[in-house]
Amino acid sequence: MHGWAISDRIQQISQDVLQVNQGSLYPALHRLEHRGWIEAQWGVSELGRRAKFYRLTASGRRQLAVEASEWERMTTAIGRVMKMA
Amino acid sequence: MNLRDLRLRVRALMAPRRVERELDEELAFHIERETQKHVATGLSLEDARARARVRFGSASLAAEECRDARGTALVDTAVRDVLYALRTFRRTPTVALTIVGTVALGLGLVGAAFTIFNDFVFRVDAVQDPGALFAVERPRSGNPDRVRFTLPEYEALRRETDVFSDVFARLMDIDSRIDGRMMAGELVTGNFFQVLGVSAALGRTLTPADDIRHAGRQVIVLSHKGWSRLFVNDPDIVGRSVIVSGFRYEIVGVMPERFRGLGLAPPDYWAPLSLVGQVRPIHAGREDSVGIDVIGRLKPGLSRKTALAGLAVWASGGNAGRAATITLKSKRTSMAFSPEVLLGFAPLFFVFGLILLIGCANVANLLLARAVSRQREIGIRLSLGASRGRVIRQLLTESLLLALVSAVCALAISRVVLDATTSVLMSTIPPELAEFLSLSAPGADWRVAVFLAVAAIISTVFFGLVPALQATRLDLVRTVRGELTRDARPSWARDALIVVQVTASALLLICAGIFLRSALRASAADPGWRLADTIMVDIVNEPFRTAMVAAVTADPSVRAVAASWPDPLGQPRAAFGSSADNPGRSTVAYRFVSPEYFSVLDIGVLRGRVFTQEESSSNAAVAVVSETIARQIWVNSDGVGQVLRLQPDPNSETRRRDEPPLPSQTFTVVGVVRDVAGFRMAGYSEAGVYVPTGPATAETSLITRVHGDPELVRRALLERLTAIDPNMGMVLTMRTLGRIETYPLQVGFWLTVVLGGLALMLTVSGVFSVLSYLVEQRTKEIGVRIALGATTGNVTRLVLSQLLRLVGIGLIVGGGLAWGLATVLMSTPAASRIGNIVDVFDPLAYAASLLCIVTACVLAASIPALRAARIDPIATLRQE
Repeated sequence: MHGWAISDRIQQISQDVLQVNQGSLYPALHRLEHRGWIEAQWGVSELGRRAKFYRLTASGRRQLAVEASEWERMTTAIGRVMKMA
Repeated sequence: MNLRDLRLRVRALMAPRRVERELDEELAFHIERETQKHVATGLSLEDARARARVRFGSASLAAEECRDARGTALVDTAVRDVLYALRTFRRTPTVALTIVGTVALGLGLVGAAFTIFNDFVFRVDAVQDPGALFAVERPRSGNPDRVRFTLPEYEALRRETDVFSDVFARLMDIDSRIDGRMMAGELVTGNFFQVLGVSAALGRTLTPADDIRHAGRQVIVLSHKGWSRLFVNDPDIVGRSVIVSGFRYEIVGVMPERFRGLGLAPPDYWAPLSLVGQVRPIHAGREDSVGIDVIGRLKPGLSRKTALAGLAVWASGGNAGRAATITLKSKRTSMAFSPEVLLGFAPLFFVFGLILLIGCANVANLLLARAVSRQREIGIRLSLGASRGRVIRQLLTESLLLALVSAVCALAISRVVLDATTSVLMSTIPPELAEFLSLSAPGADWRVAVFLAVAAIISTVFFGLVPALQATRLDLVRTVRGELTRDARPSWARDALIVVQVTASALLLICAGIFLRSALRASAADPGWRLADTIMVDIVNEPFRTAMVAAVTADPSVRAVAASWPDPLGQPRAAFGSSADNPGRSTVAYRFVSPEYFSVLDIGVLRGRVFTQEESSSNAAVAVVSETIARQIWVNSDGVGQVLRLQPDPNSETRRRDEPPLPSQTFTVVGVVRDVAGFRMAGYSEAGVYVPTGPATAETSLITRVHGDPELVRRALLERLTAIDPNMGMVLTMRTLGRIETYPLQVGFWLTVVLGGLALMLTVSGVFSVLSYLVEQRTKEIGVRIALGATTGNVTRLVLSQLLRLVGIGLIVGGGLAWGLATVLMSTPAASRIGNIVDVFDPLAYAASLLCIVTACVLAASIPALRAARIDPIATLRQE
């Protein structure tokens, strides 16, 4: 997916709750690319113009699993605290 | 940092424009797509695009953050800084050239010092695995000399120890005349070249077959230096034969240029050690007692410590002779990298470093002034958002670039300095000595280049940091508004720099003054000997003595011939003298002389007489003493006729193997002569006691009084005597002997004068430029003062007062430093020797140098001061 599509998708799936700050999207994508978690390829977009398409790498998938489980832990913990309150 | 990151970074460095274009394209696409989305909801194209842009935010900010994420920021900014610096230099080329010139001068001098140091301490000879070569030495406690090995000891070492893969021996400093010309050679055992693992460039090297005891082959191998110096690189040299001490030798090979024979400079030739009796007839028949140096190659894998232990075991077995301690000294470089060596070179580096320091101070002042004129440029950059560190980094890049260019120039300058110094030294050495000495400037290698680069970086910190910090300390609002400060505020940095310059110049000039005074004093000093028309003849080979003495006596220009042991440059033998009734012992020194000695050298007889011919030929127990000794030992009588008890000092350093023996311990004094000072630089006192001998005694030198021009007579004598002994020693006029003594002082003087002059010139130009700059900055203020009634004197005083205060501080600090250094120097063990030669506390030298600096600075300041006094107040006030 190219950068715009990513931001659009996030907006859609979260039902407009999460609106990506578009100015910091691309720096973040480039940093992820440097870390090796995503890789980029130039291709033709739906507009007919060239665009850079991003894709998870194997190590990116592993990192995703790690981050997801971290997130899981975090939200469970917060949920428990909130239930107490 | 992983592989992908690295690949992306490299790509960003290699193809920066493509990466930029991709970034722009990616961001542009995003905005385009967002625009399409809004168009699809019904907006017009312009509205959609506007909304997309607003949604995105600042595209340039996003682009900047993407660039940061790329990780090449450091390299990017560095490249950009360099390009900017180059543009700045192109705009003001004179400033850049001045800086490069000044720093290159200082770096060149320091580089020359390092080249010399490098040659001694780091240069490795072109032999196989030099790290495995060690000299076996037996140091003597309390004595700088070591006990040399003898041939049988060397052979025992070779046979019985197991630590070396092979060992060779050599005898160095053999000076002999070959085909009439002085050549310096070494005698080596046959395996010398094999142990070192080198082969000849022409012909062959020596082999063990050439070096059989009592059956050595008469062959020599030339070094490249000897080949070019004396045989003009004749390609057909191999096979030619030459005469060495009357014997015919064949030249069998020439060594390559880079081979130095494990020394600082190679000798002219190598010959087999077994021929020592031929080359040095004094050793004929006594080859087994010649003192030689032993060097070996450790077995592979053997450490120095293990080898030393093995040798110690061998030595304690009584095989190594009397001296039981044995050490291994690495022969990898000519001098070890030890604290003593560093200390020895420290003065050289210090002195040259001072010039570099003054130069950097000048440059720093220049940059401080430039900073004021660049206020607007720097102010704009700072106000646009550049951080202070960023601008400082850019200014430092400029300085670093200039310093690196200076380092390259410095390489050439150091070369020039070394070559020029060598040629000047060689041309001013007294000509009689020139054939014994051949200096060549050491070459530079990669270490010198690295050193210069490092020195350039350090210099950059010196002259670039403070100006860069000052330049970026701006009041931004006022700068951008155009109210550039005219910086009349006193700047501590500038003042400190001037003080530093004056201090360094003071140090150098004080040194120059001290050397000058000492040189003058030394040349005016009367050694007490008649120098005008006396010549000394050194007889080296005893078999020729009778013939040589006869030839000298028969020469028509020779008026009188005397003999002396030791020669006038040698140290007389130390002893204890006492009288029969005076139990106390005085330390005296004695000399063996013939009766003519006193008249030839014009040593006046005060009481009594000198020896007679019978007394000298029969070695009678008579003596002549000098008046101070006579007064010391016989307080009450005049000394003549008294009995002198003379006991040689067994522990003194003056004990030599070749000294003639004293005929007895009691002597009758026959005469008292006046005191003789001797050559002061030799560092010891002249003889007070004279014991008789004659020219026929071995080891004595001849001193002759001649008619006519001593130099012509000397040359004639030399010719005549070389016909008898082609391998003879030196024939020198006594006047030249005196000049040998003062020559090092003269060299020291000229060196410090040149350096002091350089330092003063740099300081003067620094003072001049700073003062001119200040006057220009304060033009308005001075104009107002003149308008209000200030006289020329008032204005001049205004301009000069600040400067004179700084100069005063610099002189006090410089003088104090010099005094302190002198005190430290005088407390070291070498103090007594130095004190004899130079007076490091000479007040006249101090006063003269300080006066010199004050005068120079005042002169330098006079022009700006006069310019200030001539300011037209109306014109300046109109410039508002």
